[in-house]
Amino acid sequence: MSDTTKDLHSEYMVINMGPSHPVTHGTVKFLLTLEGETIIDMKVDIGYLHRGFEKMCENGTWEQVMPYTDRLNYVSPLINNVGYALAVEKLIGIDVPERCKYIRVIASELARISDHYTNIAASGLELGAFTAFLYFVEARELLWDLIEMLCGARVTANYIRIGGLKNDLPDGFKAKTKEVFKTCRELWADVDKLLTKNRIFIDRVRNVGIMPPEDAIAWGFTGPCLRACGIPYDVRKFHPYLVYDQMDFEIPVGEKGDNFDRYLVRMEEINQSMRIVEQALDQIPSGPINVNMPEYRWQSKDDIGNRIESLIFHFKTVTEGIKPPAGEIYSAVEGANGELGFYLVSDGSGKPYKCRVRPPCFPLTAAMPKMVKGGFIADIVPTFDMINMIGGECDR
Amino acid sequence: MVADLIESVVKILFIFSVNIGFFSPILGWVERKQSALMQDRVGANRADICGFTLIGLFHPIADAIKVLTKEDFVPTGADRLFHTLAPFISLTPAIIAFAVIPFGGQYELFGHRVNLIIADLDVGILFIFAFASLASFGAVLGGWASNNNWSFLGGLRASAQMLSYEVVMGLNIIGVIMVYGTLRLSEIGAMQVNFFNWGIFLQPVGFVLFFTCAIAENKRAPFDVAEAESELVAGYFTEYSGMKFVMFWMGEFLEIVTIAGLVTTMFFGAWHLPFVSDRMLVDFFGFAGPNGASILAILVNVATFFAKVIFFIWLQMTIRWTLPRFRYDQVMRLGWKMFLPIALINIFITGLVLLAK
Amino acid sequence: MGISIEKLKPKRVRKNIELTLWERLYIFEIIRGMHITSMHFFINLIGFVLPPKGKKRRIMTVYYPEEKLTLPIAYRGRPVLVARENGSEKCVACGLCEKICPASAISIVAEERENGERYPSSYTLDMSRCVYCGYCEEVCPKEAIVMSAEYEGLAKRNRNNLRFSKEKLLRSEKSVKDRIEYIRGIYAKCNY
Repeated sequence: MSDTTKDLHSEYMVINMGPSHPVTHGTVKFLLTLEGETIIDMKVDIGYLHRGFEKMCENGTWEQVMPYTDRLNYVSPLINNVGYALAVEKLIGIDVPERCKYIRVIASELARISDHYTNIAASGLELGAFTAFLYFVEARELLWDLIEMLCGARVTANYIRIGGLKNDLPDGFKAKTKEVFKTCRELWADVDKLLTKNRIFIDRVRNVGIMPPEDAIAWGFTGPCLRACGIPYDVRKFHPYLVYDQMDFEIPVGEKGDNFDRYLVRMEEINQSMRIVEQALDQIPSGPINVNMPEYRWQSKDDIGNRIESLIFHFKTVTEGIKPPAGEIYSAVEGANGELGFYLVSDGSGKPYKCRVRPPCFPLTAAMPKMVKGGFIADIVPTFDMINMIGGECDR
Repeated sequence: MVADLIESVVKILFIFSVNIGFFSPILGWVERKQSALMQDRVGANRADICGFTLIGLFHPIADAIKVLTKEDFVPTGADRLFHTLAPFISLTPAIIAFAVIPFGGQYELFGHRVNLIIADLDVGILFIFAFASLASFGAVLGGWASNNNWSFLGGLRASAQMLSYEVVMGLNIIGVIMVYGTLRLSEIGAMQVNFFNWGIFLQPVGFVLFFTCAIAENKRAPFDVAEAESELVAGYFTEYSGMKFVMFWMGEFLEIVTIAGLVTTMFFGAWHLPFVSDRMLVDFFGFAGPNGASILAILVNVATFFAKVIFFIWLQMTIRWTLPRFRYDQVMRLGWKMFLPIALINIFITGLVLLAK
Repeated sequence: MGISIEKLKPKRVRKNIELTLWERLYIFEIIRGMHITSMHFFINLIGFVLPPKGKKRRIMTVYYPEEKLTLPIAYRGRPVLVARENGSEKCVACGLCEKICPASAISIVAEERENGERYPSSYTLDMSRCVYCGYCEEVCPKEAIVMSAEYEGLAKRNRNNLRFSKEKLLRSEKSVKDRIEYIRGIYAKCNY
């Protein structure tokens, strides 16, 4: 048998799973070398959504960067806002009031829940479970109604400011949250019953896309993909920021590092985030939400109308930008995908000198060939979905 | 002689109009509306004629107009003949297979014995299997003739899947044939007069396996690896548009109806209401005279048959919209390593039970 | 890393590495899944067929354009200029909104009236550039530009039609009264 196969002229098929393909929903190009349906080699090409975020930041002032950060990870925009604001505040060296920290925690966790909903829904859709997709999209719509009530827009929130927030919690927010969470928990139970123990689904995601823990650390994994490998690293626990050290929540940890573990970790994280939001709403103190520093945070309209120094600082900060002291820092928050880091360099003027983003899904996408080599084309689908590569974040 | 001819023509017209005229467009509407109701949304209901939307029933007409006005092309480098031939090969067996499915029993009408089945062949079931195997050519040719790597992969998967599941489907049927002792579908239907003679009680495992294998043969979810939308864009019919695309789709929908018809005939009592026989029906309608009684009995039985068919169509649609899809090698493993041994064991046990009687 | 396990609180999510017997047999979980979707199907079907009182039907679809969403007061729609009772704009052409706009969508040409009041002789907001961030409303010292609740009428066939001039942007103060009250509530006493 092997003699005859040596005589047959066979060649590998090189096929392009290009940027416009139903599976590559972050616009990524995969160049696959196939033998039948087995993947021999794979090359990943990113950059199809590169918009020049870092260069744009150098042209605007520190405050003008905030709407741009919304568009980095566009399924959880509030977390990007919080990350950037925390980084600039660390550069300046100010600390925000307690109430502001609690509201920032609530905003981050709501964004994290909606990111996990989107990810699991998209995986269900691409594996063929259309109904699970629409149940989670329904839950995400309800969450977006909450965020719209909070800050005025569903996706491009632009809610956090350097030194505080845009506005306080609206009336009736706590009651509406309870109502929304009740429906969301019912839908979560529905999708859990549809997918988690279904052998068809388990066969698609189990033992597929395995990443051993040492390799995961070597590649730079963070977030749910690292926790699925068994390593309980979470920025909220190791380097607590805001008020996470006062919240009571658990970190879900997987066993083997395959796609099934990533799915289970994300499902459990939704529950833990809901716990955090409910605790925060119970514990939130009353008080101010902005720092009283006119050179860094815009003052109220009353003050601008009545006090001359507020007016002067208002005009100066709007036209020239706020002026953090010269220096550089790195500050990280726990994004929905992993550690979202901001490395800011300031030269003392109103515009950032450099604003570099550490995207959490960049190392994950880079590790794709290692995870799928030797598998089938059909294995790319759940692996790429569970990584949750967001084009806006990976390509900036 | 003439009466036979009229009877055949009426039956053929009836089945044609029900299948192609009624079920094909309605199934498109059912798919949209049923999936919408399962997913908490409204579904498509905007197509209207003079302001009447009629809950979306005009959408199939809109689809037909759209499809007929689309450009009909053959991709460059593709084999013209096979590219055009593939949809026809896929569609024809689906239409023909309904010729041997009985939708009613035998009645006396105007002094003539009417048998509500278009062609009462004595190899009943095998006729359907023969034509189902011909349908697999359509998928293979469509995949190969498109000059596209993705279609090629889809065609490969389709060919292997359809061939394997035909083998297993054939083995599943042997249990039913052994129990009823005949290949003729009209006799199998007639034997299910007694409620406890229904196939579901005599061959439960056979029902589950046959239903699953038939869905796999039809390439519907969860077995739609050949046309998996997310992996292979659209699999073996990526390069089709317009009328040819619709022919592939219509073939799939008509096969859904055929499978529902087969399952009803073999396992669920064909056209019988439970505990009611043809004789009882004709006696019940005796007040209308002998011909009227026959006509009313025919109506009741045909309505029962199609009600059961509609139930199985609903069941297949629910399965499609609930379950994720298999991976290609898992489909093969399921067919050869799980279903084949179970089918053989089923035959063995059926034989033992029949011997013991 | 110096963090105790009790503080870290990891939670194993994978209950069993190998499949249990219940999971191995496909059929039971499949029937459970189909039960869930059939429940949704029948509840929605009854809600459609019987006259809906809004309770049983769980359809999420909003039947636009016959049925429109009620937006919260915080919703950031299209920016509009506020007009006083005599029809002239409140804007004093200070240029703050022009400077803060992250998309550089606003262009102002300022002029002075005879009594010394400044006003914008031309105010162009390029709607194709606006990202609806709300910064212009936040920095305006005179409450002269607010984000209304309008989101319709923003699709044109010619890109030049999207550069809204001052006349197209003016709205009477009465029509945006609710929004002005809302921003007074959140920006007036900025709560620090």
